[in-house]
Amino acid sequence: MALQTDVTREGHRDVSTGAHLIDPIAVAIRTRRPEDPPSGRFNETDPSPGLDVARNPLVAKILHDRKFQFLMILPNQIIFWLVIGIGLLGTVVPGLNFATAITWYLWFALVFVMMVVVGRAWCAMCPFGGFGEWVQRHTFWRRKDSSIGLGLKMPEKVAQYGFLISVSAFLLLTWIEEYFNIAGPGNPASTSFMVLGIVGSALLFFLLFERRTFCRYVCPLTALIGTVGTMGSVAGFRTRDREVCQSCETKDCMRGDADGYGCPWYTWPGSSDSNSACGLCTECYKACPSDNIGLFVQKPLTSVVAPSRRRADVAWSIALLFGLVVYQQLNALTVFANFDTWLNNHTFFPHYPDPISYLGIIVAVAAVMAGFAWVFKQSFARTDYTPAISGRSFVDRTSTFRAYFLPLMYGIIPVVGADYFARQLPKFFQHVPRVPVAIGHLFGFGSTQSSLYNASLISSNAGIIAVQVGVMAAGTLAAMWTSWRIAGRDLAPVGGNKRAVQISAASFALALGVVTAVLYILMNAAD
Amino acid sequence: MTATISTTETRAERHVTVFVDRCAGCQECVIRCPAGALSMEPVTWTAIANDAACVGCRQCERTCPFAAITVEGPLAVSERYDPPIHQPVELRGNVEETRRGYDTWEEAIAEANRCLACPDPTCMRGCPAHNDIPQFVAAIREHDLEKAHAILRRTTVIPDICSRVCNQAAQCEGACTWSLAGGVPVAIGRLERFIADHAPVPAPTLTKSDDPISVGIIGSGPAGIGAAWDLIEAGASVTVYEKDDTAGGLPVWGMPDFTLPDEVAARPWHQLVEAGVDLRLNTPIPADSIDQLLTVHDAVVVAHGAGIPIRLPVPGADLEGVVDATMFLKAAKAAMMPGGDAAALRAELGVSEGRGARVLVLGAGNTAMDVARMARRLGLEATCVDWLDERFALARPDELSEARHEGVEVRFLRTLTALEGDGRVQRAQLAHTVQPERTKQPTVLKSVPDVLDVDLVVMAMGYRLDASFREVLPSLPVTKRHVGLAHGRWTASGILKNPASAYNHHSPVGSLALDREVGLWAATLPQRDRVWVAGDALTGPATVVEAMAQGRRAARSILDAHPARPDRSEDFRADHQPRILIAYASAGGTTAALSQAIADGLGLAGARVSVKPVGQVGAKDLAAADAIVLGTWVEGLVVAKVRPAKAMRDWLAATPNLGAKPVATFCTFAVNPRGASDELGKLVARAGGTVVTSEVFGPHDRSDGARLHPTKPEAFANRIAARVITRVAAVVA
Repeated sequence: MALQTDVTREGHRDVSTGAHLIDPIAVAIRTRRPEDPPSGRFNETDPSPGLDVARNPLVAKILHDRKFQFLMILPNQIIFWLVIGIGLLGTVVPGLNFATAITWYLWFALVFVMMVVVGRAWCAMCPFGGFGEWVQRHTFWRRKDSSIGLGLKMPEKVAQYGFLISVSAFLLLTWIEEYFNIAGPGNPASTSFMVLGIVGSALLFFLLFERRTFCRYVCPLTALIGTVGTMGSVAGFRTRDREVCQSCETKDCMRGDADGYGCPWYTWPGSSDSNSACGLCTECYKACPSDNIGLFVQKPLTSVVAPSRRRADVAWSIALLFGLVVYQQLNALTVFANFDTWLNNHTFFPHYPDPISYLGIIVAVAAVMAGFAWVFKQSFARTDYTPAISGRSFVDRTSTFRAYFLPLMYGIIPVVGADYFARQLPKFFQHVPRVPVAIGHLFGFGSTQSSLYNASLISSNAGIIAVQVGVMAAGTLAAMWTSWRIAGRDLAPVGGNKRAVQISAASFALALGVVTAVLYILMNAAD
Repeated sequence: MTATISTTETRAERHVTVFVDRCAGCQECVIRCPAGALSMEPVTWTAIANDAACVGCRQCERTCPFAAITVEGPLAVSERYDPPIHQPVELRGNVEETRRGYDTWEEAIAEANRCLACPDPTCMRGCPAHNDIPQFVAAIREHDLEKAHAILRRTTVIPDICSRVCNQAAQCEGACTWSLAGGVPVAIGRLERFIADHAPVPAPTLTKSDDPISVGIIGSGPAGIGAAWDLIEAGASVTVYEKDDTAGGLPVWGMPDFTLPDEVAARPWHQLVEAGVDLRLNTPIPADSIDQLLTVHDAVVVAHGAGIPIRLPVPGADLEGVVDATMFLKAAKAAMMPGGDAAALRAELGVSEGRGARVLVLGAGNTAMDVARMARRLGLEATCVDWLDERFALARPDELSEARHEGVEVRFLRTLTALEGDGRVQRAQLAHTVQPERTKQPTVLKSVPDVLDVDLVVMAMGYRLDASFREVLPSLPVTKRHVGLAHGRWTASGILKNPASAYNHHSPVGSLALDREVGLWAATLPQRDRVWVAGDALTGPATVVEAMAQGRRAARSILDAHPARPDRSEDFRADHQPRILIAYASAGGTTAALSQAIADGLGLAGARVSVKPVGQVGAKDLAAADAIVLGTWVEGLVVAKVRPAKAMRDWLAATPNLGAKPVATFCTFAVNPRGASDELGKLVARAGGTVVTSEVFGPHDRSDGARLHPTKPEAFANRIAARVITRVAAVVA
């Protein structure tokens, strides 16, 4: 196999080659010299060489092993197939059913922890994409030459909206979850159907499209992880020496070679400036023929602040995701419950949540975010400011509004992240002791009578509020810092007074933090 | 004429879309765009396109690793000009060449201007010889035929022949960027012919050598020509053994003058003999005489072709009036020569002209076309049958249409099931077949077969190797099939992503080219100690250009290897610094470190050593090595499955032939190597190598910090040096 691959190797770099065996093809390739990135383009985003954990021989050996990702996925694969099975066949008591307990009391909180601390850690071990990928590659870990399925590409008409496709999926899924009270927790079978639905749609996309098109564009969680996850301290797989990547003649990290698949996430370590689209799958690391890819860690929030390329899909995703979490806070208020019932009566919708109020609030919050950006623009934009030449697609179109809206939304990522995290905390603190009980129940012991079942890590409302407000305070401080930094770098050149725009942006983040923290106090008081 | 070459100015009609979300800024498209229409957007660091500059060749689409760019709109290329075919007024007895080259500079330059001079030319990969097509086309634009010949000479010695007989549609022209984009390719073959037609192919430029290496070449066909040419130019003493009374092989005896005029086919041998090649005609070399040749030559190139005609084993195949293509073509060619007697041939074949005597030609490849067109020139009717679908026909598209034009009936999707007749063949039964896909063999249908009255049947389904050579060269024939993933440079060029356009009969030019590489590298490796094989003798029937390219590869490999026959002087051997390849499979770095230690020892002993992990060892490394050292860690538990590492075993299993090269082996173990060393030895022998020494290294045998010298690795290196270097440099038994 190795030799067969090598028979085509062009040996103009081969020192062992005899003088007479010169490959004429290598001589005749006259490709242009690649353009150098503008100076400083990657200065802020490139992690320090000292933070490359793959320099450690043991880590390198583990990452090179083709079974690595399989072993990451396998435990979760087993757990989630158990969730499907036990949710359908097990007890209907949600708190005692393994499916409900593990999914909503533990997993959902852990996903947010991994998101905030690492980035796409969940993606590296996700059983939904993992299952689709196993089928698509028709192997668990080997490098196969062929794949199953149609291998379509996501059409540009859709792909240009980037994370917004995922946001739509997330909004839909959350609405379904609220409607059927899946995480509520309602009937455990609903959890099974939801997981089965995700696995099924993932499989469908893996069979229709190439690589991890599902994970990159469609997965309901990818936008959330791709935005909030930028707070994470793992930069992902990045180039060690950009010059080597630029002059690489094969780009095996993108195309794949005998040792690894081409990046399933459409990310090139040579130009990656954020951890947002690195699925930590290790394929590029395995495929690189020059050992020029490392696994880097970075300071928290680096991928929020540092990237100079701001994407419209990310900004709108943050605005809409913020809308969703604010909706989830508002819906715990009595005043909202009354409003939703009133709306249902008038729109003949059976029960909570009314889609009009659901979407209405989310869109309204996003619109308020856009409104603030507009106010910033009106207040600060230089009159002589002309945006850079506009691209044609949604992601890279430019305008003065976008020049403010995009950086401002990046700046509030920590508030949104903290808000989601805080929203998951009550379930975790109140019910996570039920997880061992639910596991025990599978083996015939553990019941709703057990003391563990009725135990809580934090039982009082005041305790929960304290933790939630604490999380929001941390998130708000982080957002004020990121907004300050981003405003100083991205907004100041567009407007006039650097300090003023920095103070305004940080105040904006503070205001959002305060509002959401207050909402937590109100909603728990309502409980 | 010039009116037909009209430039279509359609630039504004093209639109390039870069998927900004998926473009990773790798610049694979930017560095390859022939029109310079792509550059980088500084803020997003993604590619941007200038639609006005785009020519629509879609090179960017084919090369983008993430499929993040698309091009819409027509190709901006002028119409291709092909000179009309020369059609004889009276076909019978006329062997004038039918295809014409460009007559004027205007025609040639107009066609040359269609070439985009792609920075990463796919046409070059499509050409089996890897001619630098953009460069010689550029030389035509510069009116510099001498330069064009110099460029061609780097890769071919028979441009005049190749430009006439190659199936360019499945090779260079099929791989032309216009063709890959679904358009009409540059007429590369005709431009090559223009060079050869308007300036003579330069004779070999000789190098003087006091003590030349002596090479015997069996066969004087294209592979022999390629080998002899490069060897004589490098100062070798070349002897060519040809079994026929004429040199040149199949192009001379098997290709009719209307395709390849005799004076063109004979040109290389005029020049080679004049340059000093010792051509020995009427000298067949049977398989068992190779050893004898090796006593008088330092190396032997087996290039006798694949000349045994394939016969279809159907009922009635032994009837009178059933002949093979070789016999027919040789006889017909002789009969058509000035002074030949066509009537006598017809009588000998038992057919008479004038009453519509029909020749059934089995096959519809290029040989079958030659047979049928020759039959037409003998005044006979001709029908070709082939069980393939016409979409996947093996003949050159132009050859097929010319044959039809000359009155040859070609029936595809038919196969001969029986021949009937009373002593002499009279009827043929032709069953219907179906072939939905190129890669699938046709299926024979059970419907009522066609019955055709025939007077003569010529089997022209191709040739096979002379089986007697397999006894001395058991590795033959080499299967030309690329296994596994293509090398990244091939994928990056975009040649593998072709829509298989109708122009080239939907042939997958990229994978065909990749398969040919296997043959080229097999020609580079000796198949036995001091024996190289090239051309059809190596791979079975293929093409003239491949045979020539393989012959050249074998010659170059010989020049590198500098083999020596037993009675060679020490001075002759001293000219060559022995080259040793150390290939290792290492898990934790121990085997790699030991390989380096052994390499240091061998370097001190005067060898040129290269050290590589087995995964990175290619055919070129093997070809360039006089001896090989293989080192592996020992895998398995203490008692179970203790054996050489999988990487080493897999590599040895995939190695086509080590050509009896001397091999030293070593194993590194933690507890007990058990039979690992012996197993490695067996695997080496199976791969065609000769184990000269072996060693095992345990945890205490490392050289680090040793006080006593030589350490075990040093001693092993010395032993290899004694066995291998002296073996290379002294007597080879």
